[in-house]
Amino acid sequence: MLIGQGIRKGYGGLEILHGIDLSLSPGKITAILGPSGGGKSTLLRALSMLDAPDSGSVEVDGVEYFFPNNRKNGIQPPWPALTVVFQQLFLWPHLTLRRNITLPLEKLSARSSGAAEEADQEVDELLELFEMSEHADRYPNEVSLGQRQRAAFIRAVVLHPKYLLLDEITSALDVEHVSKILEHLKVLRERGTGILLVTHLIGFAKSAADQIIFMENGRIVESGDKSLLTTPKNERLMKFLSLVETAL
Amino acid sequence: MSALEIIVSYRQEFLRGLQVTLQLCLIIWSIGILAGTVIGVAGAHWKTVIGLPSRALSFVLSGVPVLVFLFWLYYPLQYALGVDISPFKTAAAALSIVNTFLVADLIRGVLLEFPDQYLMAARVCGLTDRETVLRIQLPIVARQVLPNLLFVQVGMLQATLFASLISVEEIFRVAQRINSEVYRPIQIYTALAFFFLVICLPLHGLAHYLKQRFTRNLSER
Repeated sequence: MLIGQGIRKGYGGLEILHGIDLSLSPGKITAILGPSGGGKSTLLRALSMLDAPDSGSVEVDGVEYFFPNNRKNGIQPPWPALTVVFQQLFLWPHLTLRRNITLPLEKLSARSSGAAEEADQEVDELLELFEMSEHADRYPNEVSLGQRQRAAFIRAVVLHPKYLLLDEITSALDVEHVSKILEHLKVLRERGTGILLVTHLIGFAKSAADQIIFMENGRIVESGDKSLLTTPKNERLMKFLSLVETAL
Repeated sequence: MSALEIIVSYRQEFLRGLQVTLQLCLIIWSIGILAGTVIGVAGAHWKTVIGLPSRALSFVLSGVPVLVFLFWLYYPLQYALGVDISPFKTAAAALSIVNTFLVADLIRGVLLEFPDQYLMAARVCGLTDRETVLRIQLPIVARQVLPNLLFVQVGMLQATLFASLISVEEIFRVAQRINSEVYRPIQIYTALAFFFLVICLPLHGLAHYLKQRFTRNLSER
């Protein structure tokens, strides 16, 4: 289990997260919804321990990480068990998309013989699946945002993380590629990956998620199974869903 | 006499002048790049203790023309200290100091603007600190720094001409002396321009090539 307890985070005296508790089980998909600026991305960074919380703890499969003094540089997140795809992607600009994907794999491949060939084959299959084969040898600045999003997604997926945190990874994708990502998330879930997904796409959340969390102003306002999206109890969630429907 | 005839006739003098220019250049480049890199990296790491004084010195130096700085080191400073340092050493010191702070500024700027997110991505991907420096930070910083570093070094090569004004026997002073003998300014200064074109143009071209080929927009936009 990936468990966050009492997570607080602020910047410049302004508290963004007000003591968030949540858990993510292997083989489950949890979608976080909510208006912009509600702290969703901050929560993902805090849970991944890359931007350490001001207080609270994160537990990964029984190992608990505390953040008493916001000592963000002292903690090495469990790798490759916990992996994140950021909204801004952060593909390394001096490497081709293929090298961006395979560089982290080198360490995993070094652990067992034959792993490198298997990993290369999987990379090729995923590039093919997401229609990226012909762009794989280009640099990030030479491809579209959607192609970069797919490359960043593949970079995370090939590591076979136990917990995968995804921040708005479909924002620049067309319907066809959103659908492919959705199908692949379901495959990952079958393999036992726990996925925490921040998205603005209600339909995407409805199709993919086992659990829904609605966040606003750094707090979890409501959470539950996906029936929450059809029969919301909380007034704020109701309003949010109706606004999203109107906007679409 | 044509420019070519002058070059051929005075080739020994030109070569000696060129040798002095290149010696001066090698000293300025070596000291500037080495010391500038050390100060730049240290300034980015220890922003207050080293970065701030280094920026202040750099700011002051940027306000003083190179020629004035060179003259000030050669005349008033040596007079005040009661020392007599050769023109070559004085020129080497003055231009090395200027180069050092230009390089330090460049390196510190690139390091400070280095997006943390790439380091974050490296941590997510399980790279160690050493792997992150060697495989992510260093290659990106080098690509950002190298073209501008070359431009700065070409500028420093051209700045060696100022050394002639404190009697360093570099190529410009040699050209002036030959001109005073044969009085053929057009041919002589054309020959001098040719020397500089041969050295500076390839470096400039290389810098432009590196900039086009390797520099990236790190904002990811």
